[in-house]
Order: sequence, then C-alpha cells, then structure tokens
Amino acid sequence: MANYFNTLPLREKLNQLGVCDFMDSSEFLDGVSALKGKKLVIVGCGAQGLNQGLNLRDSGLDVSYTLRKEAIEGKRDSWKNATENNFTVGTYEELIPNADVVINLTPDKQHTAVVNAIMPLMKEGATLLYSHGFNIVEEGMQIRKDLTVIMVAPKCPGSEVRAEYVRGFGVPTLIAVHPENDPQGKGLAQAKAYCAGTGGHRAGVLKSSFVAEVKSDLMGEQTILCGLLQTGSILSFDKMVEKGIDAGYASKLVQYGVEVITEALKQGGITAMMDRLSNVAKIKAFEISEELKDIMRPLFQKHQDDIMSGEFSRTMMEDWANGDTNLLKWRAETGETAFEKTPAGDVKIGEQEYFDNYTLMVAFVRAGVELAFETMVQAGIKPESAYYESLHETPLIANTIARKKLFEMNRVISDTAEYGCYLFDQACKPLLGDFMKKVDTDLVGKNFNEGKDGAVDNRKLIDINEAIRSHEVEQIGATLRKAMTAMKAIKTA
Amino acid sequence: MFKPFVHIQHLNLSYHNKVVLKDLYWEMNITENYVIGGKSGTGKTSLAKAIAGLISAQGSIEIDFDALSKLPKEVLYVDSWYQFKNLEGVANFYYQQRYTSQQAKDTLTVHAELVGYGKEKGLHFDQVEPILEALGFATFASSQLIELSSGEHKKLQLVKALWLKPQLLIIDQPYTGLDAASRKNLNILLDHIAEEGVQLILICNDIELPNCITSFAEIRDGKLVKVDALESLAYEIHLREIPQFLKESPVYSSQNIVKMVNVNISYGEKQVLKNINWEVKAGEKWLLQGHNGSGKSTLLSLVNGDHPQSYANELYLFGNRRGSGESIWDIKQHIGLISPEFHWYFDASATVWQSIASGFYDTVGLFQQLPYTKSSQVDELVAYFGLTENKNELLTALPLGKQRLVLLARTIIKNPELLILDEPCQGLDQQQTQHFNQLVDELCSNGMTLIYVGHFESQLPTCIEKRILLEKGEVKVVESLNTEILS
Repeated sequence: MANYFNTLPLREKLNQLGVCDFMDSSEFLDGVSALKGKKLVIVGCGAQGLNQGLNLRDSGLDVSYTLRKEAIEGKRDSWKNATENNFTVGTYEELIPNADVVINLTPDKQHTAVVNAIMPLMKEGATLLYSHGFNIVEEGMQIRKDLTVIMVAPKCPGSEVRAEYVRGFGVPTLIAVHPENDPQGKGLAQAKAYCAGTGGHRAGVLKSSFVAEVKSDLMGEQTILCGLLQTGSILSFDKMVEKGIDAGYASKLVQYGVEVITEALKQGGITAMMDRLSNVAKIKAFEISEELKDIMRPLFQKHQDDIMSGEFSRTMMEDWANGDTNLLKWRAETGETAFEKTPAGDVKIGEQEYFDNYTLMVAFVRAGVELAFETMVQAGIKPESAYYESLHETPLIANTIARKKLFEMNRVISDTAEYGCYLFDQACKPLLGDFMKKVDTDLVGKNFNEGKDGAVDNRKLIDINEAIRSHEVEQIGATLRKAMTAMKAIKTA
Repeated sequence: MFKPFVHIQHLNLSYHNKVVLKDLYWEMNITENYVIGGKSGTGKTSLAKAIAGLISAQGSIEIDFDALSKLPKEVLYVDSWYQFKNLEGVANFYYQQRYTSQQAKDTLTVHAELVGYGKEKGLHFDQVEPILEALGFATFASSQLIELSSGEHKKLQLVKALWLKPQLLIIDQPYTGLDAASRKNLNILLDHIAEEGVQLILICNDIELPNCITSFAEIRDGKLVKVDALESLAYEIHLREIPQFLKESPVYSSQNIVKMVNVNISYGEKQVLKNINWEVKAGEKWLLQGHNGSGKSTLLSLVNGDHPQSYANELYLFGNRRGSGESIWDIKQHIGLISPEFHWYFDASATVWQSIASGFYDTVGLFQQLPYTKSSQVDELVAYFGLTENKNELLTALPLGKQRLVLLARTIIKNPELLILDEPCQGLDQQQTQHFNQLVDELCSNGMTLIYVGHFESQLPTCIEKRILLEKGEVKVVESLNTEILS
C-alpha cells in the first residue's frame, strides 16, 4: 500500500489540505434521518465505541457491536461493555453482512487487519466510517469502489462524548468524506446524521477532509499537545529540584499546574491565559515565549515536514513491524523520570498560585500553541483545522497529566501520538539547554511578583497586549468558541 | 471552675458581602449535646464550618480537648452534601453515569473507600461492621461510589463519622434521605458514641432525636440563642395566583403514561429490579416508596429515558414501545423531573433564570435563545415562586431550599404531562416542605400526572391517590389510597 497523500498531484494535495468549512447549525435540521432505520454496526467497544454507541441508540438509531471471535468467547471487557448495556453483539460474519454502516473504532494500529477482515463481508453500497484517517491517508488503504467512506471524529475522550450528550449538548466534531469513495454521493448526509446522533452538531462541526485531519492531527499531538507538555513538565520539575524547591511541591505544581493554566486557555484563548498573570509577569512571559518560539521553530517545522512527506509515518510503521521496540523503550524511559517518580506533595496550592509560581509553563503553552498553529497554516492547513489541533485540544491533554502525570497522558493518547511525542521530546530537550540555564525560581517554583513593585511601562504593555490579542489563533478562536456556547467549566484546583 | 469544651468569642463572618455571624458568643460545656435549628439561611452551616476550621472567621474559637481521652482530639464536620472523586481524582461526573455498565471502573467501591479511610485514621475494620449492619449498609460493600443514591452517600458519611468517634462531631442534616428504620438506628448509634464521650452538635429541625441531646439553639441576627426546644416556626405561605399557562391541562398523546411488563435490571450478578409490572395512566397521582436501595431511582430512570437497559425490556412510555426508534429527547419532552441526584449533578455555572429556562429543552445548561413567549413564561414563573430578586444569581449560591424551588420551577415550565418528584423535599425543613407540597398540589390540579417519592408519610402532597411500594427490587404493594391511610 502506498501513502495516499504522496500519490496525489500538488494541486490535489493543496485542495484536500484546504477543505475546511465551519458548518452552520441549519445544516443539521434533518437530524439523524439519513441513518434512521439503517443498521449501524460498531467494530470495537472501548471508551469511544461504547459511548458513541450509547448516544446513537439514545438518538433513536439501531446500533449493534461486532467483536473478534476471541473477544466474545473470552468475554473480554469490550464484550461485557456491550452486552451489559443491552446491545446485540456478534462476530464479523454474523453482523457485517447486514450492516448499512460499519463504524471502525479500533486503535490505529489494527486498522489494516480489521478493514481487510470486514471489507469482503460488507454488502454492496454500504458505508465504512472512521474516526481517524491514518489508515486511508498514510497507509493508503484501498476501499472497494462501491463502498462509501466517511469520517466522524469527536474531538474529546469517549467519556466526555457521553457526558455532554446526556446533558443535551455535545462535543466539537470533525467530519469528512473520502473523495475516492463516495459513489452514491450520500457520504456527507450520512456523516452529518451520525454527527447529530452523537450530539456533536450542537457544539460546532468542522467539515474537513481525511488528508487535512491526518496531517493536522499528527502535527498537533506531536508538538504542542503531548510533546511540548512533556518536555516543559520535565524541565520545569528538574529545574525546581536543582534550585532547592521542595520536590513534593514541585511535583504538584507541575502535575496540576498545566490543567489550571490551560483551563483559562480553554475559556478565553491565549489572551485569557496571559491575563491571569500580573502585568510584570505577563511582560516577562511574553518575552520568554518569543524567545522560545525562535528556538523551537525549526523543530516544529521539521515535524510538519516529516508529516507531510510521509517520513514520520514510514518510520513509525517500521517500529510497528519491529514489535514496537522504540515505543516501548521510550515509554519505559518516561516512567523513570524524576518527575514521574516523585509523588505530588500534600500541600495546598491555590488557583492563582499556579499562575504566579509557574509563569514558565504559561510561556511554554503560548509559544507551543502559536508555533503549532503558525506552522500548520504555513503548510496549507486552514486556520480552523489548525485551531482544533492546537489550542482546542491542549486543555484536554492537560487534564490527563493532572490525573496521573505523563504516564497517564501517554496511556490515554493513541500509540501514534505517543510515538510522535517521544520523538519531539528527545529533540526538544537539548535544544532548550541554554535557555533553561538562564531560568531561575522566579519563573518556576516561586511567585514571580515577589520583591517587585509591579510597575510597568504603559507603551510596552499596550504593545504586548496588542501582539497577543491580534494573533490569528486568537481571532479564529473567538469565532469558534462562540459556537461552543456552553462549554463546561471543569472543577480545577 | 471547668473550662467550657467549646468557647467562642466575638465571632464575625460574612458571606458574599452579607453579614452572617455578628459578634457571636457561645460556650458549650462538657456533657452538653446540641441541636441547632431554625430557619434556613441563618448561618448554622457557616458556624459549624468555622468551628471545624474549614472556613476562616474573625474572632476566637477555642476547643478544650480532653487530653486523657482515647478519642481523637479533633472536630469532624459532616457536610449536608456529599462529594466524591473517581480513581483519578476527578470530581466531574454526570447524572446518568451510574446506570451505564462500564468495565473500566471509575470510582472506588464502598469497601475500598472504608479500608482507605480506616488506614488514614488508624481505625480497626472490625469496629465498622456493626455500624454498617445497624444502618443497613453492609450489602453495599462491593458497590462503587458512583452507583450510590444520595441516601446511600449520606449513610457512608455517617458510617465514617460513627467509626471515627471524634471528640466533637458536628453533623449537618443527619437524617436527610434516610428511611424511618435507619433514622431510628442512627439515633441509637449516636447515643452510644455520646456515652463513650463524643460530644454532638446536630444541625437540623427534626423532632425524633437521640436521647443524649441536652440543649437547643438557634441563630438569630447573627447570634446564637439558646432555646428550650425547637418550636415549629410560624411560616406564612403566600400562594400567588398560578400563571395562566400552567392552568391549562396538559395535552396527552396517550392515556398510557407508563407500562412495564416483567421488567428486569441487573449489573453483572446483582439484580436491582425483578419482574416489575406497573401501569401509570394519564392524570394519576402516584406515591413511590421503598427503603434506601430498594430500586426506586432505577425505576424512575427507566421512565425518564436514562437507563441503557431499557432497550431490552418490555417498556412502554407515552404509548410507545421503548426502543422503537424514539430518542431520549422525545421521551423527556413529556416529563419534568427532579431528584436529589439530579440536583447534585446539575450545572454549577447556571443562573436561576437559565436553570428554569433550560427546562423547556430538558438540558442541563441553556444552549439556545428563548423566543419571546417562552422567556416571558420564565419571567412569570420566576415571579410566582418569589425568585425575581435572585434571578441573575448562580443557582449554587442560593440556600438549598431555594435551589429546590428553582428546580421545581424548571420541571414545570413546559407544563409537562408527567411530573416526577423524587424526594423533592430532601434537606428542606418542615415549613419549606409544607410550602413545597402545597405548590405541588396546586400545580397538579390541572390534570398533570404525578409520581412522587417520599419517605415521610406525614409530609406528602394531599393529591396522592395511589401507592407502589418496592422492596429489594420487587413490587411489594400496589394500592389505591384514601386520605385516612395518609394522615
């Protein structure tokens, strides 16, 4: 199988990268009717599979699950999840032939095997639905020409997909139709109906393409989302310990700080996050994040280049073929870092203290979000897509770090994201060596405002505020966040 | 002269810029056990939290612990509202989560929670077993925290407190959500620990109290006032004219509101409902009763479209077989629901006005602009419930009694066919309960169907005419009531 993106002429590459349409809610007036009475069969019943299925059924659709024979006979967790919630469960042979829509919600790595197993069983003219395009775009999976291929990707963990649905809202969702597989022209209508069935249509839907989704998703997760949060967390912790800050305090500040800081980011973008700092601290955070952007720009560009050329997926798939040797090695190394091994101390840290004592992380987040966004947009990805894959997802990943540190983050994200994260982290740490030598505890570990009188130069502050607010990620973010009207505030600190 | 056990001087406390406690002075002597009662919103909870050191206040609070006693030298405050976290330390849950079976376990079991608590406090596990037994809680050992109802969470809080036996134990609303038998047993247990040297402060307006209670007090104008007994407070009830749009009879799409045929619900090996047969016809007023854990909430979740196992059962709602292509939103539009659990999980960022308005769409949170007629109906209802002054305040900033009124308003805003009130008066005092039930009578007089869950026979709306009693997941009694049985 050849990398699909690389088979395209440049004109078509740009064309597919540039699919990006923020859909009006009037596009969803038909609700689920395009799928009403159709047989929906979900492959896999993990967190996404179960929660999407519960939502679809509660929207009046006919949902069942198909699992591998071993999972059924062994009564594995996926089998229990489905049967105990009263879903019909059957083998591929039992359920796929009658399915109108087959929904592939298995992990990336299994896609080729799963699709090869189910495709011959699918009936003429049925639809195959993905929630991530890696298999189609990077692996170049060829789907039978009579089948329709669509994507519906909720941009949240499975548990959130359910929680938001039952309260009458939804999570932001990306939908796409694969241009090579839309023989009846029904793909978009079905993708919209599926999206409505999961509740996504209430929270902002972005019409994208398989290509745009994959290239932006890989970029976001490797750089700002997982890579930089990992690098920033480890460097911050090590710096504090080096400078004599209590290790328990340092561990807690890093583990929970990123969640508290990015909650402000979620609510009001980089502007809101920076506004939580005092004026002096904001100016400092701005200045060092500019410096960080200059240092890290080439690395962000390299990641984007390797993703576009297919080099990243080629090397990762080599590791798959190698029994995940590198992935497992790097995972073990992350588990051995001092930050990971030091439990959070039993100290109370107030919500504002996380900002005042962790100015460095605010600078890391601003630099990372802006760089990822800028690099994606320069590569031909539209600002809306770039926003979702950078700023929008950062708080979600930060939540996982707050739960159980980097180990938890790397467990929750896909293996693909995890692999890219380690690549970034290994390259980024040495790059920041000189920068970190200059960092002291006023930026991480102690209150930045301590011992300062708080005075700032008016003009400087005005210029900096203007620079932060006028960045394109802030402009597009303001529009998109308006669509997510009822974004839920979570309980932090 | 002995020093008093608790000695408070010049205590001042403000909340949201309102003065709550003003130069409060109080001595609580050794051998005394108090009940602090009175109207809601007078500062009882604030005082309790200040004594326990949970909130800061100006003034001095001295507690003279007995150095010779074996009991822990600490003050334990048991909150009227429970709180728990999942295994990852996250406290964000949603209402329907407890009905979904998921293999990835989210929360600790009751047993694991208690083991952890015992370890933290250095307690022996064999001492907790009789307490679990006495409160009828032993069977919940393997239940996950998320699966517990509000009454069961209350029991868990009480079990911990009775096990710890701190020198000063303050319980805010000890009886909330407990059935009659558990209330009686709780009083016996409280008497036991008082004999062992625990001193009690109970915050409540209940009448059946432990024998060890020696003193009563109320807070008036920010000061603590000792009283001989808790009087039933004179409470004026002004029922305003009910808004016109709520006088109209609901339009029934079917005369059959609920029909269950041999309904069974189980989680793994544990069966929570067994062969339930039950019919509710349009306009009927039902009382649903049963002990804590008898399956009431699960039964109601089936009616409200919240239970994933509805789909494999023979269940008809509003004339349609469940699972015949309807969405849960099609079901919910016929229903107004309130329960302690629903309240607990409700959106903390909503204002009073938004909370009521969201009832039009059955959503937790308001996600759309209201058309003029609907928004003026919200205004009318806000005025009817006397909430106009509070309409832009956060729901969670109001006292519990007012929050319940807001949620009642939310349930009726669309004049639904079916009103489900699951222990709507839990945590309210008697006057508030009386007021609330009068409202229910008035609102239901237009022909609305009612399912009401309440433990206390004396505190029910008068319109109730039928009763269903659950016991261990089975229907024990279905009967028509006349007023004599109820009084």
